[in-house]
Amino acid sequence: MAVESFFSQAFTGLSIGSILLLIALGLAIIYGSMGVINLAHGEFLMLGAYATWFMQSQLGVGLLGSLVFVFVMVAAFGWLLERTIVQFLYHRPLDTILATWGIGIMLQQGMRLLAGGELRYVELPGSLDVTLSLMGLELPLYRIFIIVLTVGLLAATWYLMKRTEFGMRLRAVTQNRAIAESYGINSKRVYSLTFAYGAGLAGVAGALVAPIKSVSPDMGTAFVVDAFMVVVMGGVGSLLGAVVSAGVLGELTAGVAYLLNDTLAKVLVFLTVIVVIRFRPQGLFPDRTRS
Amino acid sequence: MSAILDLKGLEVSFDGFKAVSGLDLSVGEGELLCLLGANGAGKSTTLDLICGKTLPTAGTIRFRDRDITEVHEFRRARLGIGRKFQVPTVFRELTVEQNLEVARSEYPGVLSTLRRLGVRRCDRLEEVLELVGLTSKRRAQASELSHGETQWLEIAMLVMQDSQLILMDEPTAGMTIAETSRTCELFNRLRGRHTLVVVEHDMSFVREIAERITVMHQGQVLAEGGVTDIENNEAVREAYLGSRGIAHA
Amino acid sequence: MSQKWLLPLLGYVAFSVAILSVPAMVGDNVFLLNKYARYLALALPAVALALCWGQAGILNLGQGFSFGIGAYAIAMHLKLVASASNPGGLPDFMGWNNVGALPWFWEPFHSLGFAVLAGIGVPVLLASLLGWFMFRARIAGVFVAIITLAMLVVGNLLVVDQQRYTGGLNGMTDLAWLNVLGLQIDPYSRAFYYLTAGSLIAVLMAGFVLVRSKFGLILQAIRGNPERVRYFGYDVARYQSVAFATSAGVAGIGGMLYAMVLEFASPTFMAVPLSLAFVIWCAVGGRQSLLAAAIGAVVVNAIQGSLSEAFLDTAQLLVGGIFVLVVLFLPRGLGGLVEDTATRLHGAGARLRRGREAVEKSVDLPVKRGEVAK
Repeated sequence: MAVESFFSQAFTGLSIGSILLLIALGLAIIYGSMGVINLAHGEFLMLGAYATWFMQSQLGVGLLGSLVFVFVMVAAFGWLLERTIVQFLYHRPLDTILATWGIGIMLQQGMRLLAGGELRYVELPGSLDVTLSLMGLELPLYRIFIIVLTVGLLAATWYLMKRTEFGMRLRAVTQNRAIAESYGINSKRVYSLTFAYGAGLAGVAGALVAPIKSVSPDMGTAFVVDAFMVVVMGGVGSLLGAVVSAGVLGELTAGVAYLLNDTLAKVLVFLTVIVVIRFRPQGLFPDRTRS
Repeated sequence: MSAILDLKGLEVSFDGFKAVSGLDLSVGEGELLCLLGANGAGKSTTLDLICGKTLPTAGTIRFRDRDITEVHEFRRARLGIGRKFQVPTVFRELTVEQNLEVARSEYPGVLSTLRRLGVRRCDRLEEVLELVGLTSKRRAQASELSHGETQWLEIAMLVMQDSQLILMDEPTAGMTIAETSRTCELFNRLRGRHTLVVVEHDMSFVREIAERITVMHQGQVLAEGGVTDIENNEAVREAYLGSRGIAHA
Repeated sequence: MSQKWLLPLLGYVAFSVAILSVPAMVGDNVFLLNKYARYLALALPAVALALCWGQAGILNLGQGFSFGIGAYAIAMHLKLVASASNPGGLPDFMGWNNVGALPWFWEPFHSLGFAVLAGIGVPVLLASLLGWFMFRARIAGVFVAIITLAMLVVGNLLVVDQQRYTGGLNGMTDLAWLNVLGLQIDPYSRAFYYLTAGSLIAVLMAGFVLVRSKFGLILQAIRGNPERVRYFGYDVARYQSVAFATSAGVAGIGGMLYAMVLEFASPTFMAVPLSLAFVIWCAVGGRQSLLAAAIGAVVVNAIQGSLSEAFLDTAQLLVGGIFVLVVLFLPRGLGGLVEDTATRLHGAGARLRRGREAVEKSVDLPVKRGEVAK
């Protein structure tokens, strides 16, 4: 019994952790490589969730079928924002917090005007709406699907950042924009594509969380705060850090929620993040390429 | 001459690299000591150690017969150690006068600064402004000053702070010849009243101001003495010319 | 120096006179009066932010933490007053949550003096602790923003979670009127408006002096380069903590007034969007000046308030857009724009005068003024 409930909690933690990582991944890329604190990240998520809802309720396309479309749409939107607003703020990091929050408000209100303020629901894909029984554990298949997909996105992102020409250029620009440019790298292009990629990831995250959380114009606010805690605790620019910190925070949430309650679990998680930042402002796994 | 500053057996390592190893150095009251050495010899690190920016892994620092090895930076400043950085660091958004007021820190506590005005006029302020030739720019924002003027403003701030011991990291870096010679004058007016430790590359400037020179090499003292002693010292020539020789080869 | 004092002081005085003359203009329209009192109460957290962010460079994204504590402190008192006739003097929500007797920490809130003291003192104390915790470790910039944001979320979650003592999501409603020395102050009255306006003016005037003291100068220097300040012998962490705590106290005052003007306290006071709204108002007005931040808060709220009923969402959209434009093109806010314009006019005037003097000097007239050439 005790062993079973332990594994069951561990799975819940893993599931929460995977969602945290999923929503933090795009933010980690944007913050880590461009230094932009994108508070509109939650709204990108929201856009993804609404796009999924729209596809499902209006066009009859299922969640899985919408993913690619959602990624492309939100990425394009992110690209547009980077070109029109964010690119002017690279030398003012604190101001990016303010401007992106302003963008977030506009997106929230714009969506409220377009789609109304009421809650929307996205249905689970039928094939994933089952619960597996494994060694006495009840595992919802959709949660497993999210974990697998998160690992997949993580691997793709890692490959993109560390093994491709684009990733190399991005790291060069991150380290020293002026020198990278003198070697013929178009840093503007690299930055706007990176921002678009991060936004697209947020869109996919929004699509995936849509069936398990309710969809509303202001759903992003809670996500962006959580995502931030994951990224900052993990260490700016470190994918490994984001993974570990999402895992730790997920398990911590599940564990404390089991012992006390959900709210106190969150309280404890946030206090942990504060203490970690205090003693390791560089995060758990600092990225050594950034000085 | 009694020693005001005494460094014994100092060691610092960054990620395994020993920037300073086994450094012994003593500076007398009212003395003007020049620190020379190639890049990476440990000169700036030595200044960092004295003002508390870097903590040593071994050794002791004594200032006016007091062990300050573990003392906080701001407390060392209160004890009478001032520092000028290599890159001129003034408060760019404040005016020249305001910069000097911040430097006037005889009462640095929160309660005493709450009771004081932003800028107080007094003879000292006028004197210092006159000394560095910034009287006419007293109301200008520090960001509007030229590079040389910024350097002088920082030196003026140190004079205003009235520290017994002033550490200067390359005070003439980036100055024109005319500006350098004015800085020489400034130094000659500071000597005697303050003890100065100056890191400098410009040999002609060093010849102009130095009484005693300490040459550092690989984190240790290589040689000490007057200007001519140092210029004729075999070991120094080797350390300098050696590296230059490699560069030419 | 006198010039630098005089013009801003005139601005502060003009603003004070303007807000004090509002009751004379709106006459007996108490709803309007209440609305304006609400804007003035909301100006206080913006002023608080201008103090720690504009002066010392500490961006506090969790100002609502202090604001909320202030609101709850006064609400606890007013709730007790309103519940006096209940069995055991127990607030209604405690009854609904099966709380049998008044918790010990509620007891002192029977006293108005204690409540006011707590509304300011608790935020100051907590901010001092948090400040000491952060600034001793030289945490700065983005990390301060994240920590304060996390602290805000913690506060919000705790208030919602401790429903038995706080009223949970509903907050504390049906508060009594403030009763000072037997005088009932209706939030829809001139007296209440003057209380709010008076508090704001007092804070602004104290802030005016503070910013121009040497303490203020050191804060500005710390904003520019904390390292350098340290080597002049100032205990930077202590200065930052004091600024942070003072700002928290001001936000607490704002929270108290806000709870009184709305006649309730709610966890939304400690929600993330309101705290970021404080930042918006402060930035739109201009964070470098306390007065500009106050005006920013009043103006943005007035815009939202005037469009509200019919076009609430559009108004929000507009505010978001304005804010983005301000960040992009007016990083020092509307106050910065006014200041720059004034400097430019002043500069142009000075150049004109200098030019005229130069002309007078260079033209060597054979005839002195007042003489007639023969």
